Amino acid sequence: MENIETKLREVAKGLLSEKKVDVIIGYEKGTLPLTATPCFVATPEEADKLVFNEFCTQNLAKFVHDLVTQHRESQKRVKPEDRKKKVIGVVARGCATRSLIIHLQERQYEREDIYIIGVPCEGYVDRKKLTKALDGADILEGSLESGQLKIKTSAGDKTVALKDVVAPNCVVCRFNNPIISDVMVGSPAAAMDPSTEYDKVVEFEKKDIAERWAYFAKEMEKCIRCNACRQACPSCYCPTCFAEQSQPQWVGIGEDESDTQVFQCMRLYHMVGRCVDCGSCISVCPMGVDLRNYLKKIDKDCFELFGSRAGSSMEDMPPLGKYSEQDKEDFIFNP
Amino acid sequence: MARRKFAALKRFLNYIGMEGDRTMFTWISASEGERFAQVIKGVTAKVKALGPANKMIKKIG
Repeated sequence: MENIETKLREVAKGLLSEKKVDVIIGYEKGTLPLTATPCFVATPEEADKLVFNEFCTQNLAKFVHDLVTQHRESQKRVKPEDRKKKVIGVVARGCATRSLIIHLQERQYEREDIYIIGVPCEGYVDRKKLTKALDGADILEGSLESGQLKIKTSAGDKTVALKDVVAPNCVVCRFNNPIISDVMVGSPAAAMDPSTEYDKVVEFEKKDIAERWAYFAKEMEKCIRCNACRQACPSCYCPTCFAEQSQPQWVGIGEDESDTQVFQCMRLYHMVGRCVDCGSCISVCPMGVDLRNYLKKIDKDCFELFGSRAGSSMEDMPPLGKYSEQDKEDFIFNP
Repeated sequence: MARRKFAALKRFLNYIGMEGDRTMFTWISASEGERFAQVIKGVTAKVKALGPANKMIKKIG
């Protein structure tokens, strides 16, 4: 990974000094040990702070959309001939490029508005899994050496194997290499094993309906409606979210359990053909709601019913934007 | 496209434990009066069989 970082900085410096991009969205070292946080780099000098490692969790496509929207707003009151173009560079792994494809297919911005610096990915560390492996002890210092995380915690030194704390969505990732990119940094990563991808969903489907509802109600009870999942999700970019609309008010803003259930149900359902399983929503959830169980089901249905995987190719239209004569019709009510 | 949305919605509602059968979807032309009556009869029969909905209901007061 060290090699990738040096190359990444070189590429970023080059792009910024040649003015090919105005800003690069990447990751920098986080304030806590063993973390990384999204950052914006606008000058070649700043490019040295870029990192890319196993602790980069968030999907950066979200920030691309935010910046594009912001720039567009700022140019609204400028005379058309004085309007500036802004090219946004983004450090993107497989899942981020899928999200970018979704944005492009949904006509959020043009291909030339972004510059994709593709990076191979072998999965990131799931913070919740790591905390569990350390029995909740605070991490004071840590380093990664040949697949082993050596961590100094408040409860003594510990060693954790990296493969034990890789996020569950990364373990079964199908697209860990960028699908589209303008420049590739590093050599392609080895493929992951997606064979067990839907195991949990299949198991859950077999349960009794009352049991399924009980699980949904139990999980949603944890939700505190902080909206972190929505803010982190690259596919959630509506200028006004249905949760905040007041005319009509689709869902109450309180903590009533039915409101929480409706909010989560609707947000999840909006992910049909749009969830790339990047795990951003899960990693930011402060309450540890099991969202993935539902997102994976949506992903599975989407593939089974329409034969498409979200953002897997530029040519393939979004599944809800087209139809096929072979679509199943067993859901149509015909008394 | 609407049909795709409904196909996915029905499955999803079933998965979270709502009765997906409450979601009914069909096409009726403005000229098909008889068919409309037939469909509505079917809908009411189905809903009666399922009984009152008690999930995701907001209790006010």
